[in-house]
Amino acid sequence: MHYSDLAKRIVDELLRPDGSDKLRPVHTIGIGATGYFEPSEVAPQYCKADHFITPRTKATLRFSNGSGSKTQHDDWSDVRGMATRFHLSDGTDTDLIMMTLPEFFARTPEEFLEFTLAAKPTEVHWVSPWKKIWQMLHLIPPQPDPYPDEEISPNEGAIKFANENRYSQLAVFQAAAIGAPVSYLRAAYHAVHTFVVTGEDEVERWVRFTWQPIDGVKNENPLDPPGADYLQGRLRDRLADHTSRFTLMMQIGEVGDAFDDSTKPWPPHRQRVMMGTLTLDHAAEDTKAQDDYFEKLSFNPMLLTPGIRASEDPVLHIRKEAYAYSSGKRDATPCPFSGGAEDDQ
Amino acid sequence: MTNKDTWFNRYVNSLPTRGWFKLLSRYVVVPYWIWRDPKPKLPGGPRESPQPSENTQRMMNLIMPLKDPSPMGRAMAAMAIAQNVDEIFSGLDNVGTVHTARFLILGDNLCMISVYDGDFSNYIRDFIETIGSVFDAVISQIKGAEHMIPTCDHVEEFIEWVHDHDLFQAPDFPTDLFALQDAAKGLPTDGPAHEIMTLPRDLILQLHANPNLSLGGGYRSYPGYSAAQVRDKFGVGW
Amino acid sequence: MNKQVKKDVDIDAIERDVQGNILRSYSRHLVRHLMLEVTNVAAARRFLGVAANGGSEAVPAITPGSDWGKAKPPSNFNIGLTFEGLKALGVSRRTLQTFPVEFSQGMTKRAMKIGDFGDSAPDKWPAPFDTPEKVHIVASIHADEEGQLDKVEAQVAKAFTVLGVRDGRGLGRGKVFFGYKDSISQPRFKWVKDRTQATADEPLDPLGTILLGYPTSMEDMSFRVPYPDALGLNGSFNAFRILAQASYDYEIYLDEAADFLLKHKDVDLLLPPGAEKKVGKGLDRHAALREIVAAQMCGRWRNGTPYETSPDTMDPDPDVSPTNFDYSAQSRCPAGAHMRRANPRGGHIVQRIATYTRRLVRRGMSYGPDFDPDDFDRKNPDRRERGLLGNFLCANLGAQFEAVMCDWLNVGLQTPSITGTNDPLLGANTAETSRFDLTLPDNAGTISIYGFPRFVTARGGAYTFLPSLTAIRYLSEL
Ligand code: HEM
Ligand code: HEM
Repeated sequence: MHYSDLAKRIVDELLRPDGSDKLRPVHTIGIGATGYFEPSEVAPQYCKADHFITPRTKATLRFSNGSGSKTQHDDWSDVRGMATRFHLSDGTDTDLIMMTLPEFFARTPEEFLEFTLAAKPTEVHWVSPWKKIWQMLHLIPPQPDPYPDEEISPNEGAIKFANENRYSQLAVFQAAAIGAPVSYLRAAYHAVHTFVVTGEDEVERWVRFTWQPIDGVKNENPLDPPGADYLQGRLRDRLADHTSRFTLMMQIGEVGDAFDDSTKPWPPHRQRVMMGTLTLDHAAEDTKAQDDYFEKLSFNPMLLTPGIRASEDPVLHIRKEAYAYSSGKRDATPCPFSGGAEDDQ
Repeated sequence: MTNKDTWFNRYVNSLPTRGWFKLLSRYVVVPYWIWRDPKPKLPGGPRESPQPSENTQRMMNLIMPLKDPSPMGRAMAAMAIAQNVDEIFSGLDNVGTVHTARFLILGDNLCMISVYDGDFSNYIRDFIETIGSVFDAVISQIKGAEHMIPTCDHVEEFIEWVHDHDLFQAPDFPTDLFALQDAAKGLPTDGPAHEIMTLPRDLILQLHANPNLSLGGGYRSYPGYSAAQVRDKFGVGW
Repeated sequence: MNKQVKKDVDIDAIERDVQGNILRSYSRHLVRHLMLEVTNVAAARRFLGVAANGGSEAVPAITPGSDWGKAKPPSNFNIGLTFEGLKALGVSRRTLQTFPVEFSQGMTKRAMKIGDFGDSAPDKWPAPFDTPEKVHIVASIHADEEGQLDKVEAQVAKAFTVLGVRDGRGLGRGKVFFGYKDSISQPRFKWVKDRTQATADEPLDPLGTILLGYPTSMEDMSFRVPYPDALGLNGSFNAFRILAQASYDYEIYLDEAADFLLKHKDVDLLLPPGAEKKVGKGLDRHAALREIVAAQMCGRWRNGTPYETSPDTMDPDPDVSPTNFDYSAQSRCPAGAHMRRANPRGGHIVQRIATYTRRLVRRGMSYGPDFDPDDFDRKNPDRRERGLLGNFLCANLGAQFEAVMCDWLNVGLQTPSITGTNDPLLGANTAETSRFDLTLPDNAGTISIYGFPRFVTARGGAYTFLPSLTAIRYLSEL
């Protein structure tokens, strides 16, 4: 596959000084899990893809912290990821990659590069107490103090960028307040981009997907942090003798909605279809073999299957190359797009 | 990195929870900003948008101050509703676009809370046409509304009045507040960006201009369907 | 309570007082709309004074509504004022406040409500509509010869600043772009004689449907007459709309729809084999399906024959009435058809109370280069701007024009089966979301077609007040 300079540049620039080129440049710390997906009875009307018409489809997942730091900081405020691979009945796979932030920072790859450059982690600063008082008198909430071991952070640059670019404000504002979930199983995740699904009657719909945890969404109390390493343990504990489930909700876009712009989430009043249930029954064990397997996986948001196709969202399209290039760069198990061949659709 | 976590820093961090600072904020800082950066009152009700699901199951939160908030006055308001149940129910059926509607007496207000489909003005106008007399009975209990009786002769004025007493509905996405405030001031909504960390202040100041509001558009279990569609699907006629 | 019911009205006096083209159509070949700014108030008032009193050598007379019989004037001249225009002429604040809010805000502020977003958004409108605050008057000249238009325009330009001009014309045989015969159905007013509607059997509309100061079809309810009566009475409101029509894309969509239908499993229900001969002269199956889609989307075949009463053919024998039909649950005219959305007639609708209350008088002509739907080059898209200079007249823009636009043409609240879809001809559609349900005979259900874009975009317009002649005199004397 041919990688555009832009895709390569973005991936290269994403790498943080405290990250590793052996690991993912973002969503660096994570843990695998497995389970199965069962479509709802109405799902085939909306999407004829294999996993929506087959009673049960096996799935492999990886949950992650959004940060590109290779040091684990589960209790820091951060976006989390949930990458799902469905193993379809014909032996092929399809991926559905989601994160806890409901929208993205940029409308185009070019803008995302600008954002990436602007939000390069910089040395963290303590805001002086005098400045904080000044801010409070201006009814501006002061930036929280850095975490005890925090040395570099993208926040300052991201906020500066958002102050100049309306389109990135919602994502930056919500990311700044996102916090830490009590468990990977207690967060809602969003696929953010628009996809086009085709129903059994061949009708196409422009849609957006969300995973909703049936256990409920719950965040940690930031004033009483549970420590840097708890998410993987809790996932293993929970799945050791329970299952945990997510509902797949699909919003249907309407006239006037942003189909190709993932900085604009759709309001919660769109028609919502219950598409199915994901049941997780295994967490990756704490072994090198399991770790190697899941950490070498390469997901790709463009790994789709007949019945689901990408919208025109340019960010979604560049992610195809970016993920494939990143996978090769870190020497991971290739995804079908990172095989080296020119297999562009 | 030097440890800046001094005693002073910790004290400053705790200011928002300290009594004296709260008093200072409440009586000096906030009033100062209200004076310095006043926000126009934002209009009530759902905002115009093209999506069908924004045009069905819309909320009305009509808050009408009682002329006489004593138990006597409240009883009069209660009677005005109770004596007109037939009018209201058959009126709602014939307007055809209402999912639910109810009256509350809350604080010193009579409130009409409803979920309706379609355009707000059409809804109120159709309503006046069917049950104008009930509106007359109701608003005769309301402060500053007598001059619109009979409502069927003050259609335009009454629609505007209701709009004005319908609660502002906060946007579903927080940063959209910037654009709403800009629009209310007649500024372009795609002009230079605001500093995002001023959003909390803008919210505080907006809550001064609109002390009561509806927090977002609310949850719907089956959004995007009209009352008639639901009735049709259940086979109970529309 | 119904204070304004006048048992009998002096209709002749009313017709002499209202401007022409409101109660009856001029049926001329040409129109020229002048968008005017009042830059010299004194000159403007002088002009209006003379115009309302029969005109002079230098000033055209305002054409009143009375029937001119055989004495057809060489041209007709009429004006509509925007809220900004009333202000510019010096109307007092107190009086201005008695005008309805949608009019005082103006068309551009109501954009979202009437579907003017995206490519139709007012910030995409060309001059002079990019400065709506300067558009004070829309003056309309109707004539059969271009020289007459020029003559009147020159006279007007002496008293006002002409910001922009839009010329329209009849396309012949009553057609508009997209190839339909138009202006067949119009409201029919009590007391008003209108030859074109003589045989129509829809209920008579009370004068308050179109003029201020008379009972409306809503029992008890009346619209506010702007103060004073000299200004408000016998006035009317107009939504002047410049609506570009994507004729080429419309025909291409009909091609695609016919291709899609030919492969549809239920196509033989929609068009039994061989029935294409009956649909229209010389049509093959593909062409017949195109015409069926066009007919169902509008509610009439393109030659004007109502689909409701003639669903199998555009040339019924014996002929059917062009105006007399009604809708029911068994109707062949789809609930989503343009005409049925714009006027559901006596058919059952969700907003039962609104039946026959949202009537509109339509006066329009086409603009832009010819486009022949029967003979155009599919290889070389002709997307030059063309469309309709439309006037939608009513006594209350909010209760009639906007109400039709926002709940019926778009959104489709009136019938549950179409709620959530927009008018296929002119609704605010996007290919990603559009849907239209074609009806099948014998209540055999529907076939849905998808993927059509927005065919009509707004390119300008204004809400205007059409004052009576008395009111124009009042304004000239301020
Ligand atoms: C231009 C936009 C984006 C770029 C360039 C980008 C880039 C990347 C890269 C390079 C990786 C590592 C891939 C690998 O090495 O296997 C990654 C992982 C990930 N990204 Fe993105 N990303 C973008 C947008 C998004 C969005 C919108 C979402 C959420 C919907 C998202 C969620 C994730 C997740 C969950 C992972 C971890 C996947 C795993 O567990 O293997 N990213 N991203
Ligand atoms: C370029 C845009 C438009 C086109 C091409 C168009 C075309 C037509 C056609 C062909 C008819 C049938 C002829 C007739 O019955 O007289 C019609 C009827 C009608 N249209 Fe339109 N129209 C347009 C815009 C509008 C708009 C914007 C409205 C309303 C706001 C409207 C309201 C009506 C009404 C009320 C009828 C008569 C329906 C009846 O009484 O049965 N039209 N239109």
